[in-house]
Amino acid sequence: MAGAGGGNDIQWCFSQVKGAVDDDVAEADIISTVEFNHSGELLATGDKGGRVVIFQQEQENKTQAHSRGEYNVYSTFQSHEPEFDYLKSLEIEEKINKIRWLPQKNAAQFLLSTNDKTIKLWKISERDKRPEGYNLKEEDGRYRDPTTVTTLRVPVFRPMDLMVEASPRRIFANAHTYHINSISINSDYETYLSADDLRINLWHLEITDRSFNIVDIKPANMEELTEVITAAEFHPNSCNTFVYSSSKGTIRLCDMRASALCDRHSKLFEEPEDPSNRSFFSEIISSISDVKFSHSGRYMMTRDYLSVKIWDLNMENRPVETYQVHEYLRSKLCSLYENDCIFDKFECCWNGSDSVVMTGSYNNFFRMFDRNTKRDITLEASRENNKPRTVLKPRKVCASGKRKKDEISVDSLDFNKKILHTAWHPKENIIAVATTNNLYIFQDKMN
Amino acid sequence: MQYVGSYCSCDSWFSQLRKVKKISHVFHFILKMCLFPPFMWCCNICCMDSCSVAWEKRKDYAKHSCWFMLGRGLKRKLSDYEENMAGLSSAFDSSRNLTYPLKRQLVLNMCLTKLQTYRMLVEPDLHRSVLIANTVRQIQEEMRQETSQQPVNVCNGIGLHSQNYPGVDSAGISAQLLSGVNQQESNCCDSRSAEEPIENGLLMVSDDDMSSAISSILKDLDFMEDISPPTCLVPAGDDQPKSPENVGLKLEDDRQELKGAECVFGSFEISNSTSYLKDLAIDDIFEDIDTSMYDSDFCCPPLMPSRLPPATTEETLKTFPTCNSSPTNNIQICRTDLSELDHIMEILVGS
Repeated sequence: MAGAGGGNDIQWCFSQVKGAVDDDVAEADIISTVEFNHSGELLATGDKGGRVVIFQQEQENKTQAHSRGEYNVYSTFQSHEPEFDYLKSLEIEEKINKIRWLPQKNAAQFLLSTNDKTIKLWKISERDKRPEGYNLKEEDGRYRDPTTVTTLRVPVFRPMDLMVEASPRRIFANAHTYHINSISINSDYETYLSADDLRINLWHLEITDRSFNIVDIKPANMEELTEVITAAEFHPNSCNTFVYSSSKGTIRLCDMRASALCDRHSKLFEEPEDPSNRSFFSEIISSISDVKFSHSGRYMMTRDYLSVKIWDLNMENRPVETYQVHEYLRSKLCSLYENDCIFDKFECCWNGSDSVVMTGSYNNFFRMFDRNTKRDITLEASRENNKPRTVLKPRKVCASGKRKKDEISVDSLDFNKKILHTAWHPKENIIAVATTNNLYIFQDKMN
Repeated sequence: MQYVGSYCSCDSWFSQLRKVKKISHVFHFILKMCLFPPFMWCCNICCMDSCSVAWEKRKDYAKHSCWFMLGRGLKRKLSDYEENMAGLSSAFDSSRNLTYPLKRQLVLNMCLTKLQTYRMLVEPDLHRSVLIANTVRQIQEEMRQETSQQPVNVCNGIGLHSQNYPGVDSAGISAQLLSGVNQQESNCCDSRSAEEPIENGLLMVSDDDMSSAISSILKDLDFMEDISPPTCLVPAGDDQPKSPENVGLKLEDDRQELKGAECVFGSFEISNSTSYLKDLAIDDIFEDIDTSMYDSDFCCPPLMPSRLPPATTEETLKTFPTCNSSPTNNIQICRTDLSELDHIMEILVGS
């Protein structure tokens, strides 16, 4: 099950890769978000062209006990279209920033998808039967002449080819001046929050014409702006608690019971800066790009440019664990600033049992850290290990000095190939890793 | 004189820096920023037009690469871009010879260039702009603290007048260093005597200028629908006031600009690390350079906070259309200046 570690305990194998093979990446195909649903059966991806593609895991084949079901395309739909804001003469990108699944309550699946300005609630439903035997309509839909009807029959449902339909049920628009970076569904499953650079709004899933503003950090004078909101999430168990991270490396935990406008935090998580590591870019690399609660709700994980930190909600002054993702980049910060790579927003994720965390890096590398064994592993998402059940070979980056065999030197890393979005199956050791335009699925080796 | 021969190429300017031995890295950067086709060396005013047009056209380009503008009008080839994107080639990271102030200057220049580029975008990224602005503020604060500890070294009598511009190395923008000097607060928009404003103007780029530049950027981010002029960013001067080898550059007199249009002025200062510059005849090099083209992209906010209440800053910005949008006026102003200079030179030399 999902308790295995990320070090030597588990061996990751290639399972599948989705997406175009050629190196010429069409901009619309760039994957911008990846998310498993609550059962793990469905995997949704959003891309820069505003499309959502949902993959469904096949039912496990009894004969093939060695591998878990494959993920195949279940539904594809255009979630957001490019829009034009006439008032500001600005184009609103259709890129899907985040997808969040709602827990399943009936036969249909629901998810929230958002671009920079608008959030949409989609219903994905299956249709595998259709009624046949109407009295007044032919099978192809043409109306029959009533005078030709001599007998009556009761229409019956007959099986048909599975059809998956996606329909927008709610559209939550016009509530954000700045670009939405996060959405998070509350544990009450009735409300959710959406966060942009300066504000966080609370919505009810049924009500689209109104939202409550719960955090507003916009200063009266924009000239005094020094900090923006970078991510926000509801606590998995407490429906009154949420956190938001900032570009200054702080995380604020707020309690909505305290006041309507949660500008005053209940807890402030901030680690004092290490003076030996101070540089011109200290602030930029301290900006948090992602924050995720553990499934238990006791911990939260933050990702800044060079590290992953795990915080205990009960301790505000420093994280309980810190993992360096690519420390070898610390001496290259100026170059990374020059080519804007320093602003890349990496995401991170927990495994189902909260024992392993994963995040992406450059050169199509991604890293896993086992919290129990303290071991970490670097793997690469590439088409070279194409055969299913091929065990992935751990990779190593050589920071300086002599490069051993099989190591890669920092200077030969490809900074165009970055893994920003990763997701871990909530129950099993299956991970989805998105490179620029391909989605890789890896599983643990089942013996 | 060994100029940067490859200024026209699309290579990363940092890698270019390494190739030329004589001139310092920073110099290269500055030169690259200033350079354009060769005729620019002499005939800069004519360039301004084409430059601003090229600048306009480059807005799309900014979308392609998040790269800040290198040389104006020179479109980086995609292959070069990718080549450089793939690797890390900053001189900052690889060179151990750069002193701390020099590194700081490099970073500051990069920040300001980026901010300027973002301003040109239709919709700048608020997150990035804030981070970069904070970095600039941090560097600025550091410089301020440093200079408040250093003795003030003012080049007062060096005839900081427009008349002597061609041959004089003015104190340039070490304004913030000259914290003891009250003129720090003043600005080149003073419409007093002909000489005073220039002198004041030379010292005018202060922390306030920088702050107000950053502030106005942030303000503009808020009013994305405004077609505000790109407020000017001025690279801060370096912090070694000992050598007056800084090159003060073109300044505009406020009288003309108060005609209700724009001002194109900027003080642009090259790092005056003396060790780099001493062996070169700087006067010779920069005598002819009119970096007003550079200035047009990095022009100072027309009005200083000390003069106007902050509330009207935004308003004021709006009354000054962009340099790009009215290049002819800029040219006129520059021409006026040059013709004045010519006239004065004639008097001095001809008689």
